[in-house]
Amino acid sequence: MNLAIDTPWALTGLLLALLPLFNNGMRASLAPWLTLIPADTLSVFIVCCLRLCAMAAIAGLVLGMAGLHRTEQRRERIGHGAHIVLLLDRSSSMDNSFAGRAPNGLDESKATAARRLLTDFVKQRQTDLIGVAEYSTSPLFVMPLTENKNAVQAAIAATATPALGFTHVSKGLGMAISFFEQQPVTGSRIVLLVSDGAAAIDHDSEQKLREWFKQQQVRLYWIFLRTANSPGIFDTPEDSRDDNAGAMPELYLHKFFLGLGSPYQAYEAESPDALKQAIADINRLENLPMHYFERIPKQDLSAACYSIATLLLLALLGVKFCEVKR
Amino acid sequence: MGTKNEKTMNHTLKDYRTWCLLLALIAMLVLFMHPSKQQKTPTYNYTFIIDITRSMNATDYQQDNQSVSRLHFVKQTLRELLRDLPCQSKVGLGLFTERRSTLLFEPLEVCSAYTEIDTAISKIDWRMAWAADSNIAKGLLSTLEMLQKSDSSVIFITDGQEAPPVNPNYQADFSTIKGQAKGMIIGVGGLQAVPIPKFDSQGRQTGFYTQDDVPHRSSFGQSNLDPSQIKGYNARNAPFGSEAATGNEHLTALHETYLEKLSAESGLAYARLTDLQNLGLALKNPKLATEKVVQTDIRRQPALLALLMLSLIYLPKVYKFRRFFARECSLIPKL
Repeated sequence: MNLAIDTPWALTGLLLALLPLFNNGMRASLAPWLTLIPADTLSVFIVCCLRLCAMAAIAGLVLGMAGLHRTEQRRERIGHGAHIVLLLDRSSSMDNSFAGRAPNGLDESKATAARRLLTDFVKQRQTDLIGVAEYSTSPLFVMPLTENKNAVQAAIAATATPALGFTHVSKGLGMAISFFEQQPVTGSRIVLLVSDGAAAIDHDSEQKLREWFKQQQVRLYWIFLRTANSPGIFDTPEDSRDDNAGAMPELYLHKFFLGLGSPYQAYEAESPDALKQAIADINRLENLPMHYFERIPKQDLSAACYSIATLLLLALLGVKFCEVKR
Repeated sequence: MGTKNEKTMNHTLKDYRTWCLLLALIAMLVLFMHPSKQQKTPTYNYTFIIDITRSMNATDYQQDNQSVSRLHFVKQTLRELLRDLPCQSKVGLGLFTERRSTLLFEPLEVCSAYTEIDTAISKIDWRMAWAADSNIAKGLLSTLEMLQKSDSSVIFITDGQEAPPVNPNYQADFSTIKGQAKGMIIGVGGLQAVPIPKFDSQGRQTGFYTQDDVPHRSSFGQSNLDPSQIKGYNARNAPFGSEAATGNEHLTALHETYLEKLSAESGLAYARLTDLQNLGLALKNPKLATEKVVQTDIRRQPALLALLMLSLIYLPKVYKFRRFFARECSLIPKL
């Protein structure tokens, strides 16, 4: 039940509820000698009831004034969904269009397209917990895993501000995985990386990321927003001299992700439509059964208290008119 | 029969208890008909932009008898402030470093998103900085321009330590946004200069910045001094002369006069962060508040009346007590 009170000191008013014990609240009728009146169990019973009514009415009023309410409850439910961390690239190139130019009136920038589609995506995933992390030169913790979709939308909307520095993907991934620490393992755990470029990951970080991905059982989705004429994830180098992480970071990052040992899916989106397709896929695939908590908001019980008190007052008044004066 | 009924009715109506009950019931009727009143209360909409440059790591605040860094103190104070803000107020969060700031999230309603905002503030770290310079005037200007369209007040929290120091020839020009921006600059730090901690790549402190670690003047563009005054001046090769600049830029203190100057130029208010109370007072500046109509519960007043009326009926009768005591006294044998 978890009942709570807004103003605890108001509860001292409950002492007033003891008053009917000292006074039956009825007019006294004169009688020459009380012993003459025979004992009447029914009368005693009725008087007791009336006193109880009065006590309950006073208690109801006091509890209503003290602001009795039921605190916010969480009900465990089983549904379909996932814990998703959106890892967004905030490097400056995200502010260019898919054609690699500064956006003009006709085409939108990669960041705008990503923002628009992610907003829709979040709207569709009602039971998920979603968190947001960003990275450029360094990782930014933005929003913890939360069921509050407004908060996630506010974080996505904030990416409309100009982008920052460079692409440092390994630190970003590390931060995204850290979101799952101290979270129950239920449903699927997803890191959704949205980026338009990659960077070589150094050996130490590779080692750590491998470990963390395994430890936290995280699935990775990479939506690569490919700019026209730039190397893609699935390209093979034409010249063997280019076959290294420095020249083709995207390919090597992809290879590293494939070798992680945890489920991984890459999407190469060259236009907003392809991006839409990738998001629709995730929406379809990631619906494992999951325990989640439904929030039942705080319930105000003072109205109920007042209603009960009013009903009892009505009863008392009704009884008042039944009193007989001899 | 009729007369008897009338007689009873008369007696009932003569009883003050009936009137008390009736009044109580009328009060309850009023309670259910007018449960709330529209009331104007001030609500706030802040976007906190927090300076996360290195000088914010300087430890010149005291908390629980321990010295804590400026950034830690700012975070702690903001988290406490969050609890005091009235519902319907909104808080957004951004970070400043280099010469501009980034917005982490747009303003969120504080009561429904308390945990999210609180966690986000607690996770702010100086290592989130994407570049190492600290050009506050330009940062402030770009932040104000960035958030010009939003109706949120910018609360720019910084210690005013420009790194490298600004060349007076290249100052930010606030004339375009003066008067349009709404907000406040909050100065952080002590007035005594303290050293800035230095960390290695693993985040461990390895000492403090020394005089040789930091630039003591900006070497961008042209010097603001008269070339004839500069030793070793060469217009192309050494516009700032041949001598190494020295100074105390490796130490940091709150540059209050500088921040006051910036606040005057940009049309923002200025306050210094000393403790939660003062910050709360400064931020509750009526200029930053918007009046919002909120439904307030007024059911207590009629309920109180009903309660009084009901208590009046059941007030212990004084004469009964008197009689009781009188009997007690009479039982004591008189000698």
